[in-house]
Amino acid sequence: MSPPAGHVMLSVDNIALSFGGVRALSDVSFDVREGEIRAIIGPNGAGKSSMLNVINGVYHPQQGDVSFRGEMRRRMDPHRAAAQGIARTFQNIALFKGMTVLDNIMTGRNLKMRCNLLEQAIYIGRNRREEIAHREKVEEIIDFLQIEHIRKTPVGRLPYGLQKRVELARALAAEPTLLLLDEPMAGMNVEEKQDMCRFILDVNDEFGTTIVLIEHDMGVVMDICDRIVVLDYGRKIGDGTPDEIRSNKVVIDAYLGVSH
Amino acid sequence: MFYREAGQFKTTYAADQALFPIRQDRYAMLAIVAIAFVGIPLFSSNYWLTALLIPFLVFSLASLGLNILTGYAGQLSLGTAAFMAVGAVAAYNFQLRIPGMPILLSFVLGGGTAALVGILFGLPSLRIKGFYLAVATLAAQFFIPWLVTKVGWFSNYSASGVITAQPIVIFGQALDTPREKYLLVLCIVALMALLAKNLVRSRIGRAWMAVRDMDVAAEVIGIRILRTKLIAFAVSSFYCGVAGALYAFAYLGSVEPDGFNLDLSFRILFMVIVGGVGSILGSFLGAAFITLMPILLDVLLTAGSHAFNLNLEPGVTSMMQLLVFGALIIFFLIVEPHGLARLWQITKEKLRLWPFPY
Repeated sequence: MSPPAGHVMLSVDNIALSFGGVRALSDVSFDVREGEIRAIIGPNGAGKSSMLNVINGVYHPQQGDVSFRGEMRRRMDPHRAAAQGIARTFQNIALFKGMTVLDNIMTGRNLKMRCNLLEQAIYIGRNRREEIAHREKVEEIIDFLQIEHIRKTPVGRLPYGLQKRVELARALAAEPTLLLLDEPMAGMNVEEKQDMCRFILDVNDEFGTTIVLIEHDMGVVMDICDRIVVLDYGRKIGDGTPDEIRSNKVVIDAYLGVSH
Repeated sequence: MFYREAGQFKTTYAADQALFPIRQDRYAMLAIVAIAFVGIPLFSSNYWLTALLIPFLVFSLASLGLNILTGYAGQLSLGTAAFMAVGAVAAYNFQLRIPGMPILLSFVLGGGTAALVGILFGLPSLRIKGFYLAVATLAAQFFIPWLVTKVGWFSNYSASGVITAQPIVIFGQALDTPREKYLLVLCIVALMALLAKNLVRSRIGRAWMAVRDMDVAAEVIGIRILRTKLIAFAVSSFYCGVAGALYAFAYLGSVEPDGFNLDLSFRILFMVIVGGVGSILGSFLGAAFITLMPILLDVLLTAGSHAFNLNLEPGVTSMMQLLVFGALIIFFLIVEPHGLARLWQITKEKLRLWPFPY
């Protein structure tokens, strides 16, 4: 896969984040280019998920800047990040358990809906037209991820692999420009991983969505990602294409290891 | 066999998103509405209307309000009766102080006042959840009846703070018979139930459930947590406020602030729990169970003791009634912790397959 020629979409500069005395991230900088698939890898506790949380505004770093599409921001709240087109999935599935698959994905389009409370209470008229228009969009995503047969099922009853897929669908429903995936393949078997890889590549390909993902399966990471950032103890120890990372001495020592 | 959607194909999303997508449900609903609007007023006695059906409807509305807040938005509240009190007192004062005020508008404004108070007491929900929030709403429960009793202006300086509701007059037509009052309450409750159903199947309803089920994920999607919770408090309190106004105007006629006590709040919470948390239908089933069951039991026990010549003392029958009632609640909660509405849903799912479950 050739490195994409897109210009920089997101850049994080000198990010430092600590919780009390624990330094989760120190002086981390990297960028993400338009249209690429970027991976963040590293051992447990390296600060990968914290990094995603900084990008979409759940955590506020003590130091450093995040600029997304030319807009610099110090303190970000998740609502604004979502409005700017950043969507994400979670490491431990964070679906709305009591709702059906369809409602979960419809919730992903929350920010795109305009009807006020009164219009929603009356329902017929503008609200119904809006609901149906968004339903059509959601059905496209359902079709894309091949989950038609479970659309009316409460997500709590679904097996793990499908829940992961529904969570991806919910994130896609927002039509994001930047998609953050926190371990999208954790706990899956080989086939489910293959499916998920296919979906991620298709999303990148068909919708042109830029993707940042955290993943522990090195085979997957090396195969589908354009560039990789490696974190260890909250510091960046490597950054480059899969080939560069594979031959990076520091990364091999800290994380990849060598075969004996 | 009878309840089966075979052959009913949906070709548009509009049809799929209809209120009652299955034809049998539509007919059943029409039948219920016809009975409620025509059958019951024609054939019920005044006792049935005033002692059973009006309170049933009023409590349905109140538990509908609480269900929006607790069942849909996941915010536990013990202040339901307080919000009802606000609605009742506010409607009374709007009638009293503004000459020529239409009574329906007073109900709406009473609900609106309750909504404002609800928002105020909902503010702590930003920081606290679950049981702790319930304790915070207790503040409303103790403060509001105390305030209404303490400040005479609210009850127009009547003795012990009792407010005597004005007669209900709509377009110069006085509604003073039980039948007319029943129909008025029924219209309001039916309309508000429909509006609630529409809300919970629209964007705001999904936002409420999202906040209830996983607030971090909801926030990341772009749902404003505090605003969503406060809207839930406002809408819920509006419903409770209107229910309180109807409680005063259409059911009791005169109420004292202490009538809106913690007991009443708990009663409504039990209706929600027994009926079904997060279900519009459940609010009605729960209200029916809690208001009608004791009376049904009373009738049965009295008939039973006559039949077997037991000559029970009146005290014993009422005690037995409480015992059986409590046992029934526990029984239903063990059989189906998600309430009567869920039981009904399971029945429907079974019925779709019956009698050939393959």
